[in-house]
Amino acid sequence: MANSNLPRRIIKETQRLLSEPAPGISASPSEENMRYFNVMILGPSQSPYEGGVFKLELFLPEEYPMAAPKVRFLTKIYHPNIDKLGRICLDILKDKWSPALQIRTVLLSIQALLSAPNPDDPLSENIAKHWKTNEAEAVETGELTAFLLALRHKKFPSSHSSLLFANFYS
Amino acid sequence: MDSDEDLLDAYDGDSAEDYYYSGGDSDVDDYIAGGDEDEDDGGDCGYASDDDSTLRSEKVYTVLKVSDIQQRQEESISHVSSVLSISRVAACVLLCHYKWNVSQLHDEWFADEEKVRRTVGLLSRPVVQFPNAKELTCGICFESHPLDQIHSAVCGHPYCTTCWKGYITTSINDGPGCLLLRCPDPSCRASVGQDMILKLASDEDKEKYSRYFVRSYIEDKKKTKWCPAPGCENAVEFELGSNIYDVTCLCSHGFCWNCTEEAHRPVDCGTVSKWILKNSAESENMNWILANSKPCPKCKRPIEKNQGCMHMTCTPPCKFEFCWLCLGAWSDHGERTGGFYACNRYEAAKQEGLYDEAERRREMAKNSLERYTHYYERWASNQTSRQKAIADLHQMQTVHLEKLSDKLKEPESQLKFVIEAWQQIIECRRVLKWTYAYGYYLPEHEHAKKQLFEYLQGEAEAGLERLHQCAEKELLVFLGDDEPQADFKTFRPKLAGLTRVTRSYFENLVRALENGLSDVNTQPACSTSISSKNADGAGKGKGGKGKGSTSRSGRNAARDGDDDDHWNCDRCTYANPDSVSSCQMCHNER
Ligand SMILES: [Zn+2]
Ligand SMILES: [Zn+2]
Ligand SMILES: [Zn+2]
Ligand SMILES: [Zn+2]
Ligand SMILES: [Zn+2]
Ligand SMILES: [Zn+2]
Ligand SMILES: [Zn+2]
Repeated sequence: MANSNLPRRIIKETQRLLSEPAPGISASPSEENMRYFNVMILGPSQSPYEGGVFKLELFLPEEYPMAAPKVRFLTKIYHPNIDKLGRICLDILKDKWSPALQIRTVLLSIQALLSAPNPDDPLSENIAKHWKTNEAEAVETGELTAFLLALRHKKFPSSHSSLLFANFYS
Repeated sequence: MDSDEDLLDAYDGDSAEDYYYSGGDSDVDDYIAGGDEDEDDGGDCGYASDDDSTLRSEKVYTVLKVSDIQQRQEESISHVSSVLSISRVAACVLLCHYKWNVSQLHDEWFADEEKVRRTVGLLSRPVVQFPNAKELTCGICFESHPLDQIHSAVCGHPYCTTCWKGYITTSINDGPGCLLLRCPDPSCRASVGQDMILKLASDEDKEKYSRYFVRSYIEDKKKTKWCPAPGCENAVEFELGSNIYDVTCLCSHGFCWNCTEEAHRPVDCGTVSKWILKNSAESENMNWILANSKPCPKCKRPIEKNQGCMHMTCTPPCKFEFCWLCLGAWSDHGERTGGFYACNRYEAAKQEGLYDEAERRREMAKNSLERYTHYYERWASNQTSRQKAIADLHQMQTVHLEKLSDKLKEPESQLKFVIEAWQQIIECRRVLKWTYAYGYYLPEHEHAKKQLFEYLQGEAEAGLERLHQCAEKELLVFLGDDEPQADFKTFRPKLAGLTRVTRSYFENLVRALENGLSDVNTQPACSTSISSKNADGAGKGKGGKGKGSTSRSGRNAARDGDDDDHWNCDRCTYANPDSVSSCQMCHNER
């Protein structure tokens, strides 16, 4: 039902996401709802998250692209701009959203956020404090979390159906 | 008729005011008169006599209607666009960014025009161009559109009409950020001009946009604020630097410009917020006090307070006259208690075993509420009285005045004194109300101050009660169907006189309280020290410091003694003709 009257823009974006995926990112629409995407982001190299695979969900609200997509981490992650529920503090998902941005640009920005956490704009106070006072330790803890939580993903190719992971995380 | 008019003329002049306003013999009267002189270097903007207040409102604050704001915006836009040689649309963009601070805009523009242009997104030329295209792909819907359906800001980034409309309407419905709208391209951020927004927005959105535009002029500035009255669209511009914040909007709402609570002179903003906080913390305990009826102290039947003044009369056959506040007999109020009303005094409320109401209160007194209750009840009563007076004034203006004018065959303009009396009552009720918050926070251990305060407050209460009663009850006679025309001739000067006396007294009261009753500790408030101040004040007055100087020297003259054919009542300061031996206002013996 939700898939009828899907705007041309969403169809085009989806096609391009599938045909030319951005490096380290996969996004595929759910079969029941073409506005709901299962997303996987690889922890960027030379970041505390290197080697991790992070699962996210992305939803395009009715107003999209006038309103920003809703994105959330499903994999637990230790990051100053991401809270326990996986909500992300990122300007383009809020007041800096522009309809000229796309799903692809959003996901690339999230990937960049993993490479360069921003402790000055924290969503998770504790982690940010921790991060600021003892970066080395934080990096270690982040690494550990990423490692432990993402280890199991690594065994599967990232293009694999996300349903496989449902047993582990939900 | 002639003599009547003469009388009226006399009341209009300064001299009449000075007659009413005269120092009594008591130290305290002099003290409060002294407050006037003390004030001369401070911002002199009490709610003064009419002429004073017009002077003040020009100086200290200006009420801006929506049309005034629009006109000022218009002037700024024209000015900026001509001085910077830019379009009006660009001028709007700049002014919104610079929060309508024209001089800062000028400074920064002439220091580094390029930087300013970059910051606000005012490009001089497009960054992308499609000279030969017949069709362009919209950057939002990804569809191709013929050129006539493609729009762009100065930058040239192409988006179709539908997408622009969506973009603009989303932004307008998101809030005032739409005034700083930029090109949708995240790397571009060129400003989107008002012309484009108004061309593409729906009528409803255009209206919202204009409202934000007007609002930006008020909300972005330090010295302008909206009138907080519900439904009022006016703003008030305040001359920063003045420390007296009471302003009155054209909608007649009086508020404190600093904290936007209702006007609260002589109490300062901090005390007001403490008091309001206290009230909300105690609201449950106070509910019963707000009840509009009390048992008659004599027959115990509940008597409803439906008049503004505190003088209650029980229904027949009891007809007991009592004071709403202290439930004491009305006959104990006034002369016999030595010239001031005891019912404002906290101590008096504690007197033993007089009434049931007092019993009840004593129970509460087991905890610390008693003291607060005393002040709160009086604060709330004056508030209620004030509301009633506002309604009465309205009734007077819309119904009674015309009736009265018909009946007495006098033009309504000649009956202005009735309206003025009601306006004065409303204002005084407000002041009196806040003096109870003032009293509550007056330190217990400062006995001299407290005593003086209670005396001054008691006098204020009594004076206002006289005025309120005169305007409320004595006027009733003339609204009836009988023809008591003769009495009106004496009623007019009485009410007008009471209005002036009360105004004067309250002005001085406010000043004295605002000075923190400061003289009380440093020097005994005695006649000699005041008279030397008077001489001083009169000297300065000659220098002509605004309006104050004339009335000041005039007052001094009047205070020098009873003038020719008048004598001034010691108690209420009313100027009585020599032919009578007791005061026409308060029946005090000469
Ligand atoms: Zn652009
Ligand atoms: Zn479009
Ligand atoms: Zn107003
Ligand atoms: Zn205030
Ligand atoms: Zn009774
Ligand atoms: Zn009383
Ligand atoms: Zn008198």
